[in-house]
Amino acid sequence: MTVSALKAVSTGRNGVGAFILQCKKMDIHYCDWAGSSKGMNGFIKSILPKFAAANPQIEFTVSPRPTKHPLLVGHYINGGQKAVCVRNMEPLQILKKAELLRDASGEKLKKVSKPVHSINQSVRGVWSPYHGNGMAV
Amino acid sequence: MPTTARPRTAVLAFQFLGCAYQPPAGDQTWAGQLHVVARPAAALRHAARPARLCLSATSTLRNTRQISTNGAAAAAEPYDDGTDHARFPPLEQLPPSVAGYPSPLPERALKSAKLAALHARLSLPAKLPLQTLARTLVDASADEHPNFNNSNLAFVGHTLINYHMAEYLMCRFPRLPMTVMYAAMEAYAGKKSLFNVARSWGVDAAAAPGGEVDPGLLQFVFDKPGVAMVRFGYKRTEEAYLEKYKWRRGISSRIMYDDDFGDLITKSEGIDTEAGSESDHMSYGNINTEAIAERAHANHVRAVVGAVYVHCGREAVQSFIKAHILSRTLNFESLFKFKNPIRELALLCAREEFEHPVARLLSETGRASRTPVYVVGIYSGSDKLGEGAGSSLVTARYKAVMNTLKAWYLYSPKEHVRVPSDMLIEGAKPWEPVYVDIGEIIAN
Repeated sequence: MTVSALKAVSTGRNGVGAFILQCKKMDIHYCDWAGSSKGMNGFIKSILPKFAAANPQIEFTVSPRPTKHPLLVGHYINGGQKAVCVRNMEPLQILKKAELLRDASGEKLKKVSKPVHSINQSVRGVWSPYHGNGMAV
Repeated sequence: MPTTARPRTAVLAFQFLGCAYQPPAGDQTWAGQLHVVARPAAALRHAARPARLCLSATSTLRNTRQISTNGAAAAAEPYDDGTDHARFPPLEQLPPSVAGYPSPLPERALKSAKLAALHARLSLPAKLPLQTLARTLVDASADEHPNFNNSNLAFVGHTLINYHMAEYLMCRFPRLPMTVMYAAMEAYAGKKSLFNVARSWGVDAAAAPGGEVDPGLLQFVFDKPGVAMVRFGYKRTEEAYLEKYKWRRGISSRIMYDDDFGDLITKSEGIDTEAGSESDHMSYGNINTEAIAERAHANHVRAVVGAVYVHCGREAVQSFIKAHILSRTLNFESLFKFKNPIRELALLCAREEFEHPVARLLSETGRASRTPVYVVGIYSGSDKLGEGAGSSLVTARYKAVMNTLKAWYLYSPKEHVRVPSDMLIEGAKPWEPVYVDIGEIIAN
């Protein structure tokens, strides 16, 4: 047997082929006594139904957290969580935070210094010192 | 400060009702589930099976449990924890007998928020009902009844995935040797790959299966593999000797007898049931549990593909497979392992009536140094077939020969080739024959 094969596993890149929204669940906590939840209660009453209907990929749970500040927690496919305290915020500010959680990937925040990160091979190839005519010194 | 009730999860009216507490994956301490598992329930489960559908019709008339998660305490008095039930109504009202079922009732699928979210996340067509999606999440190890587990759908999905995968690989890389073809098939459509697909869909596993579990969680058990026939192939009569005497399995017999990835058909599908029945099966994270989890996730993906085919037809399933499986990335060059590449290249050149290949040193640097680099090219007459670099002349020649062979084997007509199943679409352009190679250089 001359050619045999090595086992490998293909890698998927989200968005190549199908796109899967990375936020899979959002917990919404409120308190119906404390003043810091005033905006959150308005958000749950007026904005959340539309937001939830527009984002059916996300499972929303709403639960009280008495005597605590209101909270938004996003759960992500990679197992990560992201929590945002939304105390004293207006409903529209909370909507911004909910959109932030929806659009996040769940990865840890890191500085992106290179604009493109790819697993594909470079089309042009890597420069080699052993090819070409060389450079006259 | 006013007194407030202890926190309970409540669900808005616009949502589905099925957001009852589910333990996080891996939480084995959850009492309700463990009671259900520990119960000598096999007799009850099988006895209850025929009455399942008629029972579901009358389920609303039965006494409802206060909290959906106290499955074990269904017969006992509901525990009064001081909750104001007028203010915080019970989350999901389940009949007490529901814990007797091995998997959730189909109609509960309509109330599961997790399931609806998964349906939307995968952009599944509306034709595919939530009940079918719920069924794809029940592994044969959780529910043995073929009308309620996913093994039939998984079989359909398995054949569809492998068909589309094989025709794509054969049209895209017509010269792949059969061993590499098998490895490529497994890299795309094998257990590990489909496990990764299921994880990338955000599918979570339930701690233990049962009738009261949220239908949006994947349900399987570690301690018994279950009977799920989801592979083609024959069980070889000489299977016992293959391991013992290291008998050779030729490629032709693999095509004839073995499964779609050239692997031997064994009873347990690579899962060691004997060791699994010992006490160590409960230890989480060993090779057996890993294999069982991989198989359950892979069968879920196959079952979703089968469900798309059953409900939405051929074209929908083709685009679904293309979007989720064929679009994955694989470095084909990493699959090759050569034993005697120089002989193989010489035979190739003789067969194709090229001139005998010759290795020539193209450039070198640092011959006397600690880190020399040689660049060797393989020439057939005046045609350069390939080149490679190495730190010794022998290595560089081997690399050059292997690169040459890979360049031959990985010939591709173009990136987006037409495959035979494209002809099934109405109004397709006439078929242009694809390139078919004459075969391998050295037959195995």
